Amino acid sequence: MRDVFKSAGIIIISFCAVFVCTLFLNYNIDLKSAEGLIFQEDAQYFYHAQIMTGKMVSALSGGCLLLTSAVMLCFYIGHYIDTHSKSLGILKAMGYSAGRLACSFAGFGLSVFTGTGLGYAGAHIIMPQFYKTQNKEGLLPEIHIHFHPALLLALVVLPTLAFCLLSVLYGRLRLKAPVLELLKGRSSSKIKVAKSTGTAKAGRELPFLQELRSSVLRQRKSLVFFIGFASFCYAAMMQMSFSMDELASRMMALMILLIGIVLSFVTLFLATTSAVKANWKTLAVMRALGYPDRECSSSVLGGYRLPACIGFALGTVYQYVLLQIAVTVVFRDVENMPEFHFDVPALVVALISFTALYELILHAYARKIRRMSIREVMLDED
Amino acid sequence: MIKMEDIRKSYGPQDNRFEVLKGISLTVEDGDFLVLLGASGSGKSTLLNVASGLEYPDSGKILYDGEDIAALSDEERTRFRKEKTAFIFQQYYLLPHLNVEQNVKMGADLASNKDYRKTIEAVGLAEKRAKYPHELSGGEQQRVAVARALAKKPEVLFLDEPTGALDETTGRQVLDYIDRLQKELGFTIIMVTHNANIADMAKTVLRMNSGKIVEAWQNESQKTAYEIGW
Ligand SMILES: Nc1ncnc2c1ncn2[C@@H]1O[C@H](COP(=O)(O)OP(=O)(O)O)[C@@H](O)[C@H]1O
Ligand SMILES: [Mg+2]
Repeated sequence: MRDVFKSAGIIIISFCAVFVCTLFLNYNIDLKSAEGLIFQEDAQYFYHAQIMTGKMVSALSGGCLLLTSAVMLCFYIGHYIDTHSKSLGILKAMGYSAGRLACSFAGFGLSVFTGTGLGYAGAHIIMPQFYKTQNKEGLLPEIHIHFHPALLLALVVLPTLAFCLLSVLYGRLRLKAPVLELLKGRSSSKIKVAKSTGTAKAGRELPFLQELRSSVLRQRKSLVFFIGFASFCYAAMMQMSFSMDELASRMMALMILLIGIVLSFVTLFLATTSAVKANWKTLAVMRALGYPDRECSSSVLGGYRLPACIGFALGTVYQYVLLQIAVTVVFRDVENMPEFHFDVPALVVALISFTALYELILHAYARKIRRMSIREVMLDED
Repeated sequence: MIKMEDIRKSYGPQDNRFEVLKGISLTVEDGDFLVLLGASGSGKSTLLNVASGLEYPDSGKILYDGEDIAALSDEERTRFRKEKTAFIFQQYYLLPHLNVEQNVKMGADLASNKDYRKTIEAVGLAEKRAKYPHELSGGEQQRVAVARALAKKPEVLFLDEPTGALDETTGRQVLDYIDRLQKELGFTIIMVTHNANIADMAKTVLRMNSGKIVEAWQNESQKTAYEIGW
C-alpha cells in the first residue's frame, strides 16, 4: 500500500503525459485525414497552425514528462534498494542472483501502466469536448473522432514495456553491489564527504547549521535536480499558461496550468518528503539537543532554496524564448496573431505563489518535526 | 536543584494501559552524580526522557529550580533543553555526514561556544577532529558524543546506557572522561545503567523496579572509572 502511494508520482506524471499526447495526437491524425477537405486560405493557415501546436505540445509535455518519470523511477528503485537493502542483501547472500532479484522490480513498470492507461482513457473521455473547442470558429470541416490503435500501442504499451525494462536494468545495476555492502545498508563507503579543503580552510568557520545544510545537499544530489525541476516547471508552465490565454485558447491555458501545477507539486512533495525522511534521525538528535523545529526544517530543506531559484529563473527564460520562437517562426504566417510580450504580472504571480508554496512546505515540516516522538525515532534501530 | 513529584506515565491503548512510571518522586542536588539502576524494562529510560523534557509525563511535576517543565509548551521546552540539558545515548547518534569537529559544533553553536576545540581536546580527540564517524571506533564515537554534549555547557547531563555498546576498556575510558570533566565543570549527571558496578562511581544511587524507586543510597566515597568492577 505504501509503495502504491509512493509511486503515485510516477502515475500522475505519466497520466499527464499520455493524457495530453493522446488528445493532441489523436486530433492531429483525425485532422490530417480531413486535409483534403480544406480549401480556403485562412482555413489552411489555421490547419497548419493547429498541426504545429499539436506537435509542439505533445513533444514538449510528452518528452519532458516521460523523462521526468524515467528519472523518478530510477530514484524510486534506488530508494527502495536503500530502504530494503538488508532483506535484499540476505536474499542475495542466500544465492539469488542480482538479475533474478531485479526481475521483481518489473512491478515498478506497473505504476507506469496505471498512469498511461488512465491517461489514455481520460483523454478519450474529454475528447469530444476538446474537438469542439479546437474548431470553435467553424473554420474547419467537422472532424470525427477515430480510434487509433497505433497511438494506444505507442503511448501505453510501449512506455510500460520500456519502463519495466528500465526498472530491471537499473535494479540490476544497483544490486551488483557486494552482499556485505547491501547488508550494511547505505554503506559507509557511500558517505559523501566534503572536499578536505572545505574544512581545512582555517579562518573561514561556518556555523553548524550551514554546514549541515550543505552536507544534506551533498548527500542527495538527485533531490537538487528534482526541486530545481519542480520550480522550473512551475515557472515555465504557469507563465506560459498566462500567455497562452492570450495567444491560443483558454482550454490550452488551463491544461498547461494544471499540468504545471500537478507536476511541480508532485515533484516538490516527493523530493521534500524524501529529504526529510532521509534525515529523520538527524532531526531527532537536533530536537533532543534543543534546536527549534523551525531551524530543524530549514537545515534540511532550506538548502534547496538556491536550486529552486535557479530552476525558477531558467523556467522563466525558457518559456519566454520558447513562445518567442513559436510566435516568430511557427505562427509567422498566421494572420492577426497577437503580439507576444514578456508578461510581468504573470511572473510576479508565479513567483509569489511559488515562494508561498515553498515556505508553506517548510512550515508544514516544522510542524511535523515538532510533533515527532524523539523516543520512537531513537528506538527505531536499524 | 531538580525535584520530581509523583511522576506517572503509561503507554498503550485505553483498555490496555501499561503504567511504566508509577508515581516517582525524587530530588537531585546541583552537581550530583546520580545513577539510576534497574533491570531492562523497569522504566529507567522513560524516567530519563521525562526528566529531561523529551517526553511529557501523564501527571506530576518536574521542577528545575522551581520551574515546572511539565507545564511548558513545546517551544518553551525546546528552549529549556537548549539552555540547560545535554544528552548522551547508547547509540551515539552522531551525524554520519559531518566530521568530528562539525558534530561537536552541533552542540557548541547552541551555547554560542567558540571554544569547542578545547572540548574536543578534553576528550582526547584533537588528532581526529577531521575524521568522520565511520572512521572512528565505538569508544571514540561515544567520546565525540560526550564532547558534543559538553560543548553545550549544560547544567544537567543525561546519559542513557552510555557504555551499553562498548567493551570494558573503551567503556571505562569514556566513563573516566565524563567523570573527570564533571569534577572540572561541575554539571549534574543523571545516568541510566543496568551495570551495578558503575553505581560505585556515583554520589547518589537509585534502584528502580517495575516503575518504582525501590532503593536509594548515597556512596560515602566515589570510585573512579578504573577502580570499579565491570
Ligand atoms: N513508546 C512506547 N510505547 C509503548 N511502550 C513503551 C514505549 N516506551 C517504552 N515502553 C515500555 O515501557 C517499559 C519501560 O521501558 P524503558 O523505560 O525503556 O525501560 P528501561 O530503559 O529500564 O529498559 C518497557 O516495558 C517498554 O516496553
Ligand atoms: Mg533503556
